[in-house]
Order: sequence, then structure tokens, then C-alpha cells
Amino acid sequence: MLVQVCLYFYCKCLWRCLKFVVRKLTGRCELQRICYNIKPGASRTMKIETSLKGSKTKLLQTEVSVHPDAIEKTIDDIMDLKKINPDINPQLGVSLQGCLLQIVGYRNLIAEVEKLRREPYDSDNSQHEEMLLKLWKCLKPNSPLEARISKQWCEIGFQGDDPKTDFRGMGLLGLYNLLYFAELDTVVAQQVLFDSLQPKYRQVMIEAWEKVSSDQSYSSCSYSFAIVGINITDLVYNLLVSGALKTHFYNVAPEAPTLSHFQQTFCYLMHEFHKFWIEEDPLDIMEFNRVREKFHKRIIKQLQNPDMALCPHFAASESLINM
Amino acid sequence: MAALLVNKVGASAGPAAGNRQSGRGPGGAAVKVRGVRDSDVFSLQGDKVPRLLLCGHTVCHDCLTRLPLHGRAIRFPFDRQVTELGDSGVWGLKKNFALLELLERLQNGPAGQCGATEDAIGLSGESIIRFYCTVCATHLCADCSQLTHSTKTLAKHRRVPLADKPHEKTMCSQHQVHAIEFVCLEEGCQASPLMCCVCKEYGKHQGHKHSVLEPEANQIRASILDMAHCIRTFTEEISDYSRKLVGIVQQIEGGEQIVEDGVGMAHTEHVPGTAENARSCVRAYFSDLHETLCRQEEMALSVVDAHVREKLIWLRQQQEDMTILLSQVSTACLHCEKTLQQDDCRVVLAKQEITRLLETLQKQQQQFTELADHIQLDASIPVTFTKDNRVHIGPKMEIRVVTLGLDGAGKTTILFKLKQDEFMQPIPTIGFNVETVEYKNLKFTIWDVGGKHKLRHLWKHYYLNTQAVVFVVDSSHRDRISEAHSELAKLLTEKELRDALLLIFANKQDVAGALSVEEITELLSLHKLCCGRSWYIQGCDARSGMGLYEGLDWLSRQLVAAGVLDVA
Repeated sequence: MLVQVCLYFYCKCLWRCLKFVVRKLTGRCELQRICYNIKPGASRTMKIETSLKGSKTKLLQTEVSVHPDAIEKTIDDIMDLKKINPDINPQLGVSLQGCLLQIVGYRNLIAEVEKLRREPYDSDNSQHEEMLLKLWKCLKPNSPLEARISKQWCEIGFQGDDPKTDFRGMGLLGLYNLLYFAELDTVVAQQVLFDSLQPKYRQVMIEAWEKVSSDQSYSSCSYSFAIVGINITDLVYNLLVSGALKTHFYNVAPEAPTLSHFQQTFCYLMHEFHKFWIEEDPLDIMEFNRVREKFHKRIIKQLQNPDMALCPHFAASESLINM
Repeated sequence: MAALLVNKVGASAGPAAGNRQSGRGPGGAAVKVRGVRDSDVFSLQGDKVPRLLLCGHTVCHDCLTRLPLHGRAIRFPFDRQVTELGDSGVWGLKKNFALLELLERLQNGPAGQCGATEDAIGLSGESIIRFYCTVCATHLCADCSQLTHSTKTLAKHRRVPLADKPHEKTMCSQHQVHAIEFVCLEEGCQASPLMCCVCKEYGKHQGHKHSVLEPEANQIRASILDMAHCIRTFTEEISDYSRKLVGIVQQIEGGEQIVEDGVGMAHTEHVPGTAENARSCVRAYFSDLHETLCRQEEMALSVVDAHVREKLIWLRQQQEDMTILLSQVSTACLHCEKTLQQDDCRVVLAKQEITRLLETLQKQQQQFTELADHIQLDASIPVTFTKDNRVHIGPKMEIRVVTLGLDGAGKTTILFKLKQDEFMQPIPTIGFNVETVEYKNLKFTIWDVGGKHKLRHLWKHYYLNTQAVVFVVDSSHRDRISEAHSELAKLLTEKELRDALLLIFANKQDVAGALSVEEITELLSLHKLCCGRSWYIQGCDARSGMGLYEGLDWLSRQLVAAGVLDVA
């Protein structure tokens, strides 16, 4: 333990010295070196972020949590501090600004998502109710909802008669995500919903063979669309908060990542999870947590690659592909 | 009227003569003859027989027959007092026996007799009344009876022993001369039912239903006798009972009692009462218990001591091992240093040795790390007690618990509150969560299975080897209580859960308007549903954690008591 601590300090000091030496040799500061040597994207932004966080200057340390509007001014401050002439290095300012926007935007996105998550679903709020009914309309355009509190909600995978209770953990965030998926990716969402209701392939065969259709075997492999959606929301949220999604967002969002980026990621993961579920071919729904854990690990592993972008291949994410 | 002899008797010769005028003979001073005009006027028999009137005067029979009749009565000419006559007319009037006796004595020779009479009176004054003359209606002692009734007339009087004395006839209060002979049977006259013949025929009881006095009285007597009989039996019963009470008190209290032994010799003996027996029984029981407890305590302590000794020995052994290891390592170190200071040739020569040393060192290090990984150094000695007061020392005992309930009841929240002591709003559980919660030397492995409707038929896969079921109910959601009830009822019919403990958490007690524990007990009809198994309902709220550990306490108590944790 002590050795580790010593090592850590030693490294830190050594690193400082090295930085000093390199700076003297090349005449460039660390930020400059990063911006010039590393291609734009997650790898550059993350390096910048580590560099700023590890800086001995207070200004640079607080840089990562500055308000987006004040970024341009802070860029100038950094230039001043590092005695860099903006005229000689015009590219540096632009690169730095992009990186900073992403860093700050990511932090703000966490705050925004957290706020949504904390807001509970309120049946008295007409806006919430409207969204819920819209979700039904998008997923089941052909069968009208009979009542606000109805068994029908189970058809799209809620647990009870009133979906309200299922939003407890994820709050409005769950509803936002589901609605985004259903509204902007209607075809895929409906397909996923349809598939989620299907029994396992081999069970279909057995059933056809034996001409038996009991309710229980019918539900054995299918999963509940809505609450799985809420679970995936939780997964995406955890990825976001843990910082694992930085790779993705820094790679796909040219400037600050927004809520729609988050929601697109959700749609993508939902789709991916669905495919993963079918691939895994679990025995019954009780394996959900195992499958989910496996899926989570896989995504994290993918995101460890700095060039990785969870590149969605579907309609809502066309803007992402284009960038 | 000259023949009319008037003889006034003091007071009345009859009843007023007094029951207790002992020995006062009818011929005594009680008879006051006003004046005897002609002693020949009266005779002992025939027309001249003296008869008594109501007013106390004595008139001869002849004169009486000649007196004018006023209806059914005659009036004495001097004081004009009326004397009623019975059916027999003048014949019904009583003879003045006292006078007759006097007359008889006079005829027989008066000398000497008088004194004797007085003597008799004087004598009889101190005697005890033995007889009653039914004719004169007087009380007599034995001597008086002899003396006074010695004359021919009086000797015929029937004298009976006092015990057989006939009752005097009561006179009617309204018609003094008539005895009461009848009893009125009318409802309205029950206050004064007695009547004489006059009352019956003309008086206030005219036309009333009636019966004769004597049979009526006899009837009443008979009923009194009956009653007396009853009373006697009743009294007997009471006394019998009180005797029994005394006996029982004696039995309870115990004490000295006379007992006959086999030889027939009686001697007192102390017989213990039941109270004493009971006390000694209790004492014996508790002393037994004390003994057992002491023995168990000794055993438990010895187990603990043995455990501690073993552990200490092992630790010391380890210590020694470590010291040896340390010395080995330092020797190796020394050797290395020594080698370092030697010249190049020797260093090169020592290479092989050094390599060997290094190898052993590495091997030792590996062993050490393995050892350290395996053994947790822990000074705590966790002690648990089994049902029969044995101790269990060692790792935490594992208990498998399944948490079930409707969706949204708070199963996962409770689980995480127990696990991490933090409140979080969980996402709907798909499938299950499993966590281990350590509490009081127990390790609960809690399986939290999703409550979604479609998942409920899968609950049964989690029943196997489950020692306890925790059923969570949302107290704030009244509408779903019946659904919870049907699920719980289904659950309790499961064969695998037959012996499982049932803990019911009435969750969300903090929500305003939540059902109380009693209401939920009622609504789920738990007493009926869980009949014959050990169950417990605990109000709780996962937000603050209130009640959760009480529930676990109950579980652990039950599990320990049920001997589930019994270890040999």
C-alpha cells in the first residue's frame, strides 16, 4: 500500500518533470501537444480532460465545470496563462473550444438527465398524462386504449393496470426515452415490441407440434417491453454517470452532447439489447438480470476502445452517422 | 227472683285464669262469691245446676230457662249484660264447677278440708305444672290435680298431660262469644280470613266461600311439615357442603392428623397439604431447571473456552511460523549482503546458491500470500445459541429467504435498504435480485423476485430450500389488498413452503392514509389464512428503514427457536 502511494507521488513528480522538460524542448505546452498530436474525438477530449484535471493551476482545474457560455472567455484565459499567441496557433483555440464544449456538455447532460430521473411521474400533470397516452398511440396505433387505468397496459409490457408505479425508479426519464423510441423510431420500436411478445422460436415449434397453447409457456421467453425499456434506461443512465459513455459522446457529438444524443443512445441500446437477448436465447425471463449484466459488460468493453462510437444503424440516428 | 243466686267470679273463670297461675285450683280464692243467699238454691245436678254467664255471674239452670230470650241471647237482669247462647240454648252454657266443688265439699263435711286445700295450694305454688283439665281449662300440678279434682264431680274431669293440652279456641274479634270455626277462602279476605259462625252467616264473610278451620289448619300444618322436611334436607345439604369445605381447606393446608398404622396404634402424623405439595413441585422443577441451566452454561462456557484455546494455540503457532519465516528470510538477506561484499569471483561462484535462495524465498512468499488469502484474521468470536442452549461459534449461519409480493410493493427497496442502508427508488425488477444481508451472526440470502403478474408463476422456482418467505404488502394501496390476498393464499398452498416461516411486511407505513397493521391483518384475514404456521406481520417503511430489523429479528428468533440452525 505504502509502496503504491510512493509510486503514485513519484510518478506524479516524475511526470511533472518530464512535462517541464518536454515543454522546454518542444516549446509547446501539454494542451498544445495533445491538440496537435491526437486526432479529434474521444481520445483527444479525454486526454484534455485528464490534463486539465491534473493541472496544478486552479483555473485549469475548474475549467471542466465552467458554464458553456463562458467557454470562449476561458479559452482566452488559458491562452494567456500558457503564453500562447492565438495568432500563431489559430487551430488550438478551435480544438480546445470543441473539447471543452464536449466536456462541459457531458457534465450538464448528467445534471439534466438526473433532474429528469428525479422527477416522479405525476398523474395530475396533464403533460405527463399526454405523453403516456401518446406512447400507447405510437406503439399500438391500431387498438385504442379503453381506459387510463386498464389491463391493456400489460400488452406493451407494464407491470400493472397503471404504468405510473413502474416509473418510480427512473421517473420521467423512462417515459421520455420510451416515447422517443416509439415516436422517432416507430417501426423499430413496434418490431421490438412485437418480437418481445413472441414466445421462443423452439417453443413455437413445440406448440405447433402439440397444438397446445397455454398462457404460461407463451410468456416464457418473451419479455415486457416497457419495463425492459425502463431497465435499459437505468443501464444507459449508469453508463452515463460512470463516465463510460464519454467515449461515445465525445466521438459522436461535435459539440456539447444533448438529451437527444442520450435518447438516441437509448434507442440504439434498446435495439442492441433486443438482438442480444435473442442471441442469448435464455430459458425464461428470470435470466434477465444475467443477460443484462452480460450486455452491460459487453457495452463497457466496447466503450473502452477510445475510437468506439455506439454507432446506431437506424433512422433516428442518421445525424450521428453523418457527423 | 229470690231464688236467683248470683255468683260473681273474678275476671273470668275460663281463659283469663291464666296459663301460668300454677296450681290455682278452680275452688281457690279466684272464685269470688258475692253473696250466697241460699245454699240450697244450687244443686250438683238437675235444674239447680249453677251456670256461668259471660259477665261472670252464676245463675242456676232453672232461673236461666226462665229469663226472657232476646233473639238468641239472654240478658242478665242486674247488669244487663248480654250473653249469647249457642244452638243448645241454655244447656250450652258452662257449669260453674268451682261452685259445684264447693258445694260438694260443704255437703261432705267442711271441717279440715279447707286447710288441706290451702296447703295444697301452698304446696302447689312451688310445683311444676303437669296437667291440664280440659273441662275447667286450668293448669294443674300433680298435687293440685289430686286435691282439687278429688270431688265426685271434678274427678270426672278429663285431665291430660300438659303436652296434650288442647288448644284454646280463639274467639272471634267481632263476636266475642263465638269461637272461630271457619276460614274464608275469598281472595279479598286473605288479610283476615278467620271467621266465626256469625261472621259466616251474617257478618262480613256472608256468602263467601269457606272451609272448616281445623282441616284448613291441618292442611297448613301439613305443608309446614313438608316445608320443615325440605328445610331439614336443605340444612343437611348445606352442612354437608360446609363440612366438605372444611375438609378441603384442611387438605390444602395440611397439618397434624391422627393416622392408624398397620398394628392398630393411633398416632398423630404430619400430613402435607396440597399447597405444600404444589410448592415443593415448583421448587423441584425450578431447581431441576437451575441445574440444567448450570450444566448447559458450564458446557457452553467450556465450548467457548475450547474454541478460544484452539484459536489461540493456532494463532501462536502462526506467530512462531512467522518468526521462523522471518528469521529464514533475514538469514537469506544476510547471506546476500555478505555475497555482495565479496569479490567478483566469489560472487560468480555464489550465483547458484543465490538462485536457490531466491527460489525458496519466492516459494515461501507464495505460500504466505496463499495463507493470507485463505485465513481471515478476525478477533471476533461470534456466538449464537441454539434452541437447547448450546452455543454455535463460527461463521455466520446462512438462511435462505425469498421476498415476494405484488409489483410495486417495495421488495427491491427493502432489499437495498437492508443491504446498503440507503433508500433508492428501484426500477421494476425483471427476473430477480439476490443479495446477502448480514445481521446478528446470521447471513440472510435474500432472493427478491419480481412481482409482475407474468412472473408470479415463476415464483415457485425459488421456493426450494427456502426457510422463510417475506411477503411485502403495499399498505398505501387499498385497491390491491385483495389481489395481494389471493396471491398470498396461493402461496400458502404450495407444498414446498409448508414449513417456511412467513414474515409479512406492511410496507409504506409512512405514507399518509396507509392501512394500519391491524387493518391489513384483518383484510388479508391472516389469522385464518396462516393458521397452523408461524407467521408475523411487521409494519415498516423502507424509506427510513423503520421496522425492517424488527422483522429480521423475528425471523432470526424463529429460526433459532425452530432449531433450523442446530449444529452438532
